[in-house]
Amino acid sequence: MAEVHVIGQIMGATGFSESSLFCKWGVHTGAAWKLLSGVREGQTQVDTPQVGDMAYWSHPIDLHFATKGLQGWPRLHLQVWSQDSFGRCQLAGYGFCHVPSSPGTHQLDCPTWRPLGSWREQLARAFVGGGPQLLHGDAVYSGADRYRLHTAAGGTVHLELGLLLRHFDRYGVEC
Amino acid sequence: MAETAWSTDTGEAVYRSRDPVRNLRLRVHLQRITSSNFLRYQPAAQPGKDLIDLATFRPHPTASGHRSEEEEEEEVVIGWQEKLFSQFEVDLYRNEAACQSPLDHQYRQEILKLEDSGGRKNRRIFTYTDSDRYTNVEEHCQKMTTAAREVPSFLVERMANVRRRRQDRRGMEGGILKSRIVTWEPSEEFVRNNHVINTPLQTMYIMADLGPYGKLGYKKYEHVLCTLKVDSNGVITVKPDFTGLKGPYRIETEGEKQELWKFTVDNASSLAQPEEEEREQRVFKDLYGRHKEYLSSLVGTDFEMTVPGALRLFVNGEVVSAQGYEYDNLYVHFFVELPTTNWSSPAFQQLSGITQTCATKSLGMDKVAYFSYPFTFEASFLHEDEAADALPEWPVLYCEVLSLDFWQRCRVEGYGAVVLPATPGPSWSQVSSGKRCGACWTVWKGSASRVPFTMCWVGFPPPRRRPPRISMSPAPPRTTAADHCVCSPLRGLPSRPAPHAGGPRKPSPGPGEPLGDHGFLAPSDPGPPCKRTRRMVLRLAPSCLFIFLPGDPAGLPRTGRAEKVPGRPLCLVFGTASPCRVAVTLETPRSPSAQLSYCKWLSRQGRLVGLARGGVTPPLVLSSAQPLFWPVALSREQRAAGASCFTAWLQREAQERKRRELGFLAREPQPPLSRVALSCRLGPVMFET
Repeated sequence: MAEVHVIGQIMGATGFSESSLFCKWGVHTGAAWKLLSGVREGQTQVDTPQVGDMAYWSHPIDLHFATKGLQGWPRLHLQVWSQDSFGRCQLAGYGFCHVPSSPGTHQLDCPTWRPLGSWREQLARAFVGGGPQLLHGDAVYSGADRYRLHTAAGGTVHLELGLLLRHFDRYGVEC
Repeated sequence: MAETAWSTDTGEAVYRSRDPVRNLRLRVHLQRITSSNFLRYQPAAQPGKDLIDLATFRPHPTASGHRSEEEEEEEVVIGWQEKLFSQFEVDLYRNEAACQSPLDHQYRQEILKLEDSGGRKNRRIFTYTDSDRYTNVEEHCQKMTTAAREVPSFLVERMANVRRRRQDRRGMEGGILKSRIVTWEPSEEFVRNNHVINTPLQTMYIMADLGPYGKLGYKKYEHVLCTLKVDSNGVITVKPDFTGLKGPYRIETEGEKQELWKFTVDNASSLAQPEEEEREQRVFKDLYGRHKEYLSSLVGTDFEMTVPGALRLFVNGEVVSAQGYEYDNLYVHFFVELPTTNWSSPAFQQLSGITQTCATKSLGMDKVAYFSYPFTFEASFLHEDEAADALPEWPVLYCEVLSLDFWQRCRVEGYGAVVLPATPGPSWSQVSSGKRCGACWTVWKGSASRVPFTMCWVGFPPPRRRPPRISMSPAPPRTTAADHCVCSPLRGLPSRPAPHAGGPRKPSPGPGEPLGDHGFLAPSDPGPPCKRTRRMVLRLAPSCLFIFLPGDPAGLPRTGRAEKVPGRPLCLVFGTASPCRVAVTLETPRSPSAQLSYCKWLSRQGRLVGLARGGVTPPLVLSSAQPLFWPVALSREQRAAGASCFTAWLQREAQERKRRELGFLAREPQPPLSRVALSCRLGPVMFET
């Protein structure tokens, strides 16, 4: 069996119109993958950019997987939310990114989108906040039902992931 | 017969030990230096007749006043935090009124017990343990210099506070407090303690009461012999260091009689027996071995293997974004086309997908829509026939960008295709698709020119369109493929920056060498001078762009997507209608000779419309790794018409060739043309694999 280490951080996000942002992230893998150590999902702190546009989280990701096959390569899905001064949370975007498959450090930019409602809902969102969210979170990392959605583009989440692979060459896999 | 030299080095030494510190034992030997014992003597093996044994000179112990040897020499073995009382303490704590804290009372009990059992064992040597008041006071008021008044600074105050609080901090190290991560109103003390980092220490002082005989128990004669500090990580700091083979340390007392005392400190801890050590090591090895076995049992040894001799391709990617399109509410419909020969894929796999419809937002000057649509693709390649010439064909991903507006109208914004990367590793592919142009999709394969890769043919726009304005200045190419082509150099593709990374360059002065003729452009009129050519471009909407690559087959990568047949140019067909600014940005990774030298811009009838020099200049670098396709959208009628036009062109080309029988690149004098600046403003669809 082969092992994969994913060690990195969610650095921050740019391009969002809202300012106090936090990110809920998770890693989803196929059935052949087993998580040996690390937390599979988490939530960053709320960050308000003081200078410039980028909200910084620097949230660590440290995972150790063991796998029996290549299907179901880990995928990272993100939800970016903003928290206003009243403590309410509003969705800013959903993002998705495959964990890279070649060893080394990778800088990833994951763009996000958020579901759009009717024009009335959009107007309400501009003034009061709120807005539609996905009922099932797995629409983010599976493409089957995406065509039903009408979305708007959000910002971009920046990640830096380092990848270590072990024993893949024993099984003839070139990464 | 001099004594071993004194050791003047009283610096501290640091030791590390993994054993529990309660096993630490120190032997301290203290002796006053007098004239008689200063000279070390050795009893002669045979006392000579003439020699008088020096021992006779030693004063005999008497009851009155003479110092006995016990007063001058003392040796004690001290354990860690073992409390040995000094005379002063004994006198103090015997008096119950002086006991204030519970510790004092405890000491008093111990002293009384000691006295009942026959007095204490030590005389001059005593210890201060971690819990004594002395330890804290010493930390605070320790003088470092000989100044008359040394006032402790603010830092000293803070450090002293931290030291006293060490018992509290011990509980907090290493653990993460799950609640109350933030202290909203820190008190002064809290601030003081937490602004200084300190590892909790336990200290012990080994002291000596060097008062004159009979006058023990005065504080002013107390001297520190040795300071021991142990922290929770097993770091033991001894100041001064163990004597070992060095000479003893000495203390000179101040006062009316400057007496000299010498002392040695030695490590008297019992060492672990070799069997014990071995057992301990075996236990550790067992433990680690078992943990390793447990981990590898979790991991397991089976892995999904492929059929031997087959190549299995796993592609994980995302459709990331669409940028630069005119309309809003875009979605991408894509599918993967597997070559029919030798490739197979699992039955359940979905080879196509539609993303969500995304409303765009402005990014710079463009409008961009984000999809982040995941796709995974798996295929196997089984090379059944061992034909060496046949290069494997690689699957291609075709995509179509459409827009859906409020009134449910759906229009095609553009088409694009990209060949899936042949080398493992991450790669970005930017697929350009024509912006609002007419075109048709024709998958054409293996025709007269035997180009064994699929390509999209681009047709012609409606002739009535007004040609848009173009400017001839070399504008910087924006978001062209080379800017984003970050193929990781795992195999074959060398990594180097895109030729026009870093901004626009000055245009090259124009084709230095005369441009050749290509056979099938039989009526090709070399063209009027430069200015008119440009005007021609302006007037006609240019429709087809052919790019010719005079490269050698060795320069092409092994993917075999573009096989060059000797004697024929490698021809990639493009087309666009508006905007007229078009750039082809492709790179050849392998051989520089495979670089583009020029490109011709031909109108529908085959008339030369424009020319540009390639290779060195920024927008034109040809790559056979990833040819860019510019399919454009067409109505159904145009599509039907277009297909026939293309095949007609092909036939015409073949006929011309046969007729001419000219080699490629027959030179013909051409007037020098100024560069037609070409830059891309097409809407790329980004893929990330």
